[in-house]
Amino acid sequence: MIELQNVTKRYPGNREALSQLDLVLERGEMAFLTGPSGAGKSTLLKLIAAIERPTRGHILINQKNITHIPKRSIPNLRRFMGIVFQNHHLLYDRSVFDNVSLPLQIAGYSRAEISRRVRAALDKVALLHRDKAMPITLSGGEQQRVGIARAVVHKPAILLADEPTGNLDPELSAEIMQLFSEFNQVGVTVLIASHDLDLISRMGKRIVRLEDGRCVNGQARAA
Amino acid sequence: MRESRRKPSPTRPNAWTRSRALVRDHLRSLVFSLGKLYRHPFATTLTLLMIAVALALPACMYLLLDNLQAVTEKWDDSGQITLFLDVGTSEAQVEDLRTRLTSIEGIEHIEYMSAQQALTEFRKLSSLEYLIEGLDENPLPSTLTLTPADQAKQASHLDQLVHDLATFPHVDQVQLDMQWLHRLQAITAVVHRAITLLGITLALSVLLVVGNSIRLDIENRREEIEVAKLIGATNRFVRRPFLYGGMWYGLLGGALALGLVLIVLFVIEQPVQHLIGLYHSNFELIFPDLKQSLALIATSIALGLLGSWLAVGRHIVRIEPS
Repeated sequence: MIELQNVTKRYPGNREALSQLDLVLERGEMAFLTGPSGAGKSTLLKLIAAIERPTRGHILINQKNITHIPKRSIPNLRRFMGIVFQNHHLLYDRSVFDNVSLPLQIAGYSRAEISRRVRAALDKVALLHRDKAMPITLSGGEQQRVGIARAVVHKPAILLADEPTGNLDPELSAEIMQLFSEFNQVGVTVLIASHDLDLISRMGKRIVRLEDGRCVNGQARAA
Repeated sequence: MRESRRKPSPTRPNAWTRSRALVRDHLRSLVFSLGKLYRHPFATTLTLLMIAVALALPACMYLLLDNLQAVTEKWDDSGQITLFLDVGTSEAQVEDLRTRLTSIEGIEHIEYMSAQQALTEFRKLSSLEYLIEGLDENPLPSTLTLTPADQAKQASHLDQLVHDLATFPHVDQVQLDMQWLHRLQAITAVVHRAITLLGITLALSVLLVVGNSIRLDIENRREEIEVAKLIGATNRFVRRPFLYGGMWYGLLGGALALGLVLIVLFVIEQPVQHLIGLYHSNFELIFPDLKQSLALIATSIALGLLGSWLAVGRHIVRIEPS
């Protein structure tokens, strides 16, 4: 589902964030991306979401080469995935419901369908009762769950998360990871960047360890 | 609605639901952008006032010019040739002259004022009555006032006519009171051109005001735009509320400008009436009619849209998530 072939990403100033990286994630697989800060975790996720483009190498999403994807095709690529951020990236001038419905509005779903799906997504993250609340009135963990609901509401094939538990206490972090794992069980390909080694080793999923832009545990492909 | 529910829920909306969603998004943007203005009353008022003043100024000048033109047009209608007849010309001779004048091409209307009538009129209008009382006989000549037909009003034609008329019997003097009017009309044309240029300059400033407001708005909502793009929003989707914002600026600014114009006209109406009264004329100040009012607002909307389009076009594409 996600395939990186010999990908190098060099930022201005000649710093190599990723060096000749190979990585394959099969459809329906769940993997963690770990390593020290600056190892290239975020860069890898940005390349997959076409936020950045690789300097060399190829990236295939769902067997389509997106290395040189034209700008006008990027929205469609992103509708194919859901992205969860460490700092939620919620819009604070809209209700929880409106935040979660944004991907569906963008994709042009009917109002009835939007309402149905947003409710289902909020129910999944146990926040259905807060649908009319403003995000600012929610706790950090709740805001992150809203972010997750927004990332999955349009039923993406791929779910990316960048340090989704970065600001949460261990118990909440475990809950959030459990949620991701549940999405994976219904067939979503999940890739999560996290430095919380304790937590991710308990999940029993594949772990890709990056150091200085290289994969150091040799698991370019699922064992 | 019901039908789509019976079908197994589609993973992607079809063209019909998408186009309906598009209409809905337009409406949502329309309302949302108005709400944005409402939530920032101070900044909004400031921007609207700038737009209104920039539009009201040329609009007012244009209307005043319009009024001036209406006044001179009225005089233009009576732009006539006056024949002063020899003192002592008899009624029969006048009648004879009149018949001959009727046969000349290019004269539409002839009006006769006898010396006696002229005297009565003079008494009525001037305070020099005692002068006349002292005279043995009426010093005023009889006059014939000719109204040239429209097609005979070109200067060259009128000059020829004046020249011909002077040779008629009993005609003492021919007077064409048009020259000053032509000068006034020439001045009006210059002023008209100047106002048009001023209007264009101020229209440009409206573009800049709206463009700048929208640019600030975009800057303030940079994060929101980035998020929207991250979850698959097209540039068009992101652009929409800002364009409607520009439209609202135009619509509200234009309405405010119209209000200012009306206030100005109401304020000057009385002094103008007084001034006109001094010239023994009656004249109603022309207020903008419905068509002109709509034209002002439509111009304003167009400027608002164009201003926001210029700001949005350059900006939104450049904002990308990082």
